[in-house]
Amino acid sequence: MSLPSVADSVQPAGATVGSGPPEEATRRTAGGDVFRAVAHNRKALAGVGLLLGFVVLALIPGQIAPDDPRAKIYTPGLGPSWHHLFGTTAYGEDVFSQLVWGTRQSLLIAVLVGGLATVIGVVVGVSAGYLGGTTDGILSLITDVILVIPIFPLIIVIAAYERNSGFFTLVIVLGLLGWSYGARQLRSQTLSLRTRDFLEAARVRGERKSYVIVKEILPTMTSLIVASFLGAAVYAVLFAAGLQFIGLGDPNSQSWGTMLYWAENNEALGAGMTYWAIMPGVFVALLGAAFALLNYAFDEISSPALRLRKLETTGVDAEQETAVPIRPPDEKNILEVRDLSVAYASDHGPVVAVDRVSFELGRGEFLGIVGESACGKSTLVYAIARLLGAPLAGEITGGQVFFKGRDMVTLADKELRHIRWRDYSVVMQSAMNALNPVLTVADQMRDACEAHSTMSKREIEQRSKEVLRLVSIDPVHLHSYPHQLSGGMRQRAMIAMALLFTPELIVMDEPTSALDVVGQRSLMVQIKELQERLGFAVIFVTHDMSLVRHFSDRLLVMYAAQVAELGLTRQVFAKPLHPYTTGLLEAFPSIHGPKEHLLGIPGQPPDLLRLPPGCRFAPRCPHVADRCRVERPALYRVNGELVRCFLHEQAEEPVAVSTEGVA
Amino acid sequence: MRFVFRRLGFFVVTLWAAVTLNFLIPRLMPGNAAIAMMARYKGRLNPQALHALEIAFGVNAHQSFFHAYLTYLGNIARGHFGTSLTFFPDTVAHQVLQALPWTLALVGVTTVMAFVLGTFIGLVSAWRRGTALDGALPPLFVITSAFPYFWLALLAIWLFSIKLGWFPPSGGYDVTTTVGWNWTFVSDALNHSVLPAATILVTAIGGWILTMRNNTITVLTEDYVRMARAKGLKPWRIMWTYAGRNAILPNLVGFAMSLGFVVGGAILVEFVFNYPGVGWMFLQSVENQDYALMQALFLLITVAVLLAILAADVATAFLDPRTRERG
Repeated sequence: MSLPSVADSVQPAGATVGSGPPEEATRRTAGGDVFRAVAHNRKALAGVGLLLGFVVLALIPGQIAPDDPRAKIYTPGLGPSWHHLFGTTAYGEDVFSQLVWGTRQSLLIAVLVGGLATVIGVVVGVSAGYLGGTTDGILSLITDVILVIPIFPLIIVIAAYERNSGFFTLVIVLGLLGWSYGARQLRSQTLSLRTRDFLEAARVRGERKSYVIVKEILPTMTSLIVASFLGAAVYAVLFAAGLQFIGLGDPNSQSWGTMLYWAENNEALGAGMTYWAIMPGVFVALLGAAFALLNYAFDEISSPALRLRKLETTGVDAEQETAVPIRPPDEKNILEVRDLSVAYASDHGPVVAVDRVSFELGRGEFLGIVGESACGKSTLVYAIARLLGAPLAGEITGGQVFFKGRDMVTLADKELRHIRWRDYSVVMQSAMNALNPVLTVADQMRDACEAHSTMSKREIEQRSKEVLRLVSIDPVHLHSYPHQLSGGMRQRAMIAMALLFTPELIVMDEPTSALDVVGQRSLMVQIKELQERLGFAVIFVTHDMSLVRHFSDRLLVMYAAQVAELGLTRQVFAKPLHPYTTGLLEAFPSIHGPKEHLLGIPGQPPDLLRLPPGCRFAPRCPHVADRCRVERPALYRVNGELVRCFLHEQAEEPVAVSTEGVA
Repeated sequence: MRFVFRRLGFFVVTLWAAVTLNFLIPRLMPGNAAIAMMARYKGRLNPQALHALEIAFGVNAHQSFFHAYLTYLGNIARGHFGTSLTFFPDTVAHQVLQALPWTLALVGVTTVMAFVLGTFIGLVSAWRRGTALDGALPPLFVITSAFPYFWLALLAIWLFSIKLGWFPPSGGYDVTTTVGWNWTFVSDALNHSVLPAATILVTAIGGWILTMRNNTITVLTEDYVRMARAKGLKPWRIMWTYAGRNAILPNLVGFAMSLGFVVGGAILVEFVFNYPGVGWMFLQSVENQDYALMQALFLLITVAVLLAILAADVATAFLDPRTRERG
């Protein structure tokens, strides 16, 4: 019925953070890409560097430390010198040697506790999330209880009974108490994965639960597991040092915490043995910082939203030819888009998501923009509305957008703010996401009114009720929170909000796709009625051509970031010119027409980073000729329509669009 | 209502777990520390003190394990924590009440301050993403949050007390002043609290900055933030009521969840500064093997954390209409 698209937008893979990492992206991160990512992340490099340094100290302390750490052979309390880098202790030992030898224990505690806590956390968290039900109830309760019981005091209580506890007691106690934070996060991640397709598929295949957990779930959670390990490691280093510092560890052990204990007992700071008291802490802090930096960097690597990419504009405009003198926009058009290009940064270079798109929109006109997912239609309209930026990454790299005679592209944020919502408003795909969940509908109408008018509170309330009535919502719902409304009502409330100032243009990005077929129809009828009554122009984005058939005046078909066809809706439906348009039409059944075999379009839209050298549709086109694979078609004008296909090159009118050449 | 009941149930289970751990830990230790301890004290302490120990451990030669546990639970429920060995014959409850205000003032205020400040810095640095502020503060505090609390406390004493002489190195107030609500005492107490407060603040704030920054960055990709921009709202309004209001919700949960860690660090800070609060008293009781006092303090710390979580729950319900509905 509809093309496989829910979230239609051109965006870097894995940018949907809120809904959990897409499995493909995460799986790739689990592989060799991690090394490349680490090598490009300064925080990760610093963390790895520090950690490697400590590993060397821990492995070969004898080669690095000049002395036996326990040899009480020097003058006590020496200051730093060439021979005693950090001076000597009150017992005549070399501080530097003690530090070097102490590394081994801290590192070992970090790794062992991190490992133990992670294993318990993974087992508990994943089982709770995957098995659900009573198991989940019990495991979650245990996790939460251990999480909120103050761990350090508890460890002190245990250590108070088991004085001078040895190394392994310490590791086991810290490990047994430190897993809950990671388990909690792993559980919620597993929960969000449970309903994913690839797990359903594994269940349908009849795989055993253990198989599903080990082979399907765990690989997608690599980043969380690593984070849980690093977190537990930091905590172990800090708590172990703390315990030893207050004298609850083995006073004869070689560790930084024990060094601090003896330094404090000898009042090293007051007695001038500054380095004795300070350096062990520096080492604890450095090891902790190494883990913390890695954790921070890993977070950035595994969730792309946390990483800031800079768009390298060089190369993006290579195809753009020299600027043509700007011709003033036509008075009768509310909107003129000329050669608009948008690009966003990706790991593999800039991606041109909208490629020199031009069209005009008359006052009160209804334009439908259609195309498959990721063809750039959402990016196009959000660029026009100057709303690019996360989550729809991208920058306008060229072209003009004349709205009521002014070029929107060059407007400053402040100027834009004044015309937003007053002159043009936006209706988004899902009101569930587009309405602020913590504010009532009234609040969200009021802040828009306050931003653009001097209406009194009463006037705002009245106007809000008025627009709700316009979309047939009972005004009693004005003070409801979005989650209290039904899906259809939310969608209507958003449209009502867009009508507050009766703007001249409303941009609608698939406003009906969150509804069922019946709801879609009735909302479309209502939108059309409102449009005819209030006279605003509409840009309507959809992937469902049948939806706009009876409502739009003109239709713009996009394919792979470009205009494929642009013409009157009637004409396009009656006689589609571009093979892609034909394919789209065949993909949708007609409700009233005779039963037809749905053909659809084989294959996938091209990767915008690896476009075919000739026509972008060539790989999927049933009419493809040799020429299409090497040469790029321009937009040709045929009977007042525009079409990008060599089939129509011999049309009576010459090439229409100014800056495009045939490559 | 179901949500509220589940939450209350959770608090009860947590408290029960803490009490039971208190009862079990001495028994689970090799050689049963409790019995060994009783034997050690027999004949050296007067019957009253012995009785206090019996209550503390729930040890009674004539009782079965289960019976002892019930007796112990009963005593705790009635607030009978026994008698402190260190401050004999003063009761544990009385001693604890003396230390409590100091900790509430120091740890309570600084923890809340760290949360509020950290949340604010995290919000602003996510909002001003990629600026110098965002480039400098979060990584800096990632590193300071890995510092051991006690070591930073030592460093602060060394630098600001010993080297510079700006603040007193230890204690909660000058013992020569009279304790009470007079300016001399209050200003002196404040002066004593600057270093420990700053230590807790610097180490605790990093976590909040980081989580709030990450939450905000995620929230900034939400449609409702784009909608707010589309509506032409002023940037500060979008930052507060659209990004901030939503990003703080998971941070509040995080606040509740990591409080147990923060309290652990604060205990060490009190210890280093000889600050007359609960943490210091806790470590003193460990030092003196004053188990009755130690167990009572452990329970008190657990209750304090639970109360703070309750406060976070209330704040969440206040800020998020969706949880209100569930409650």
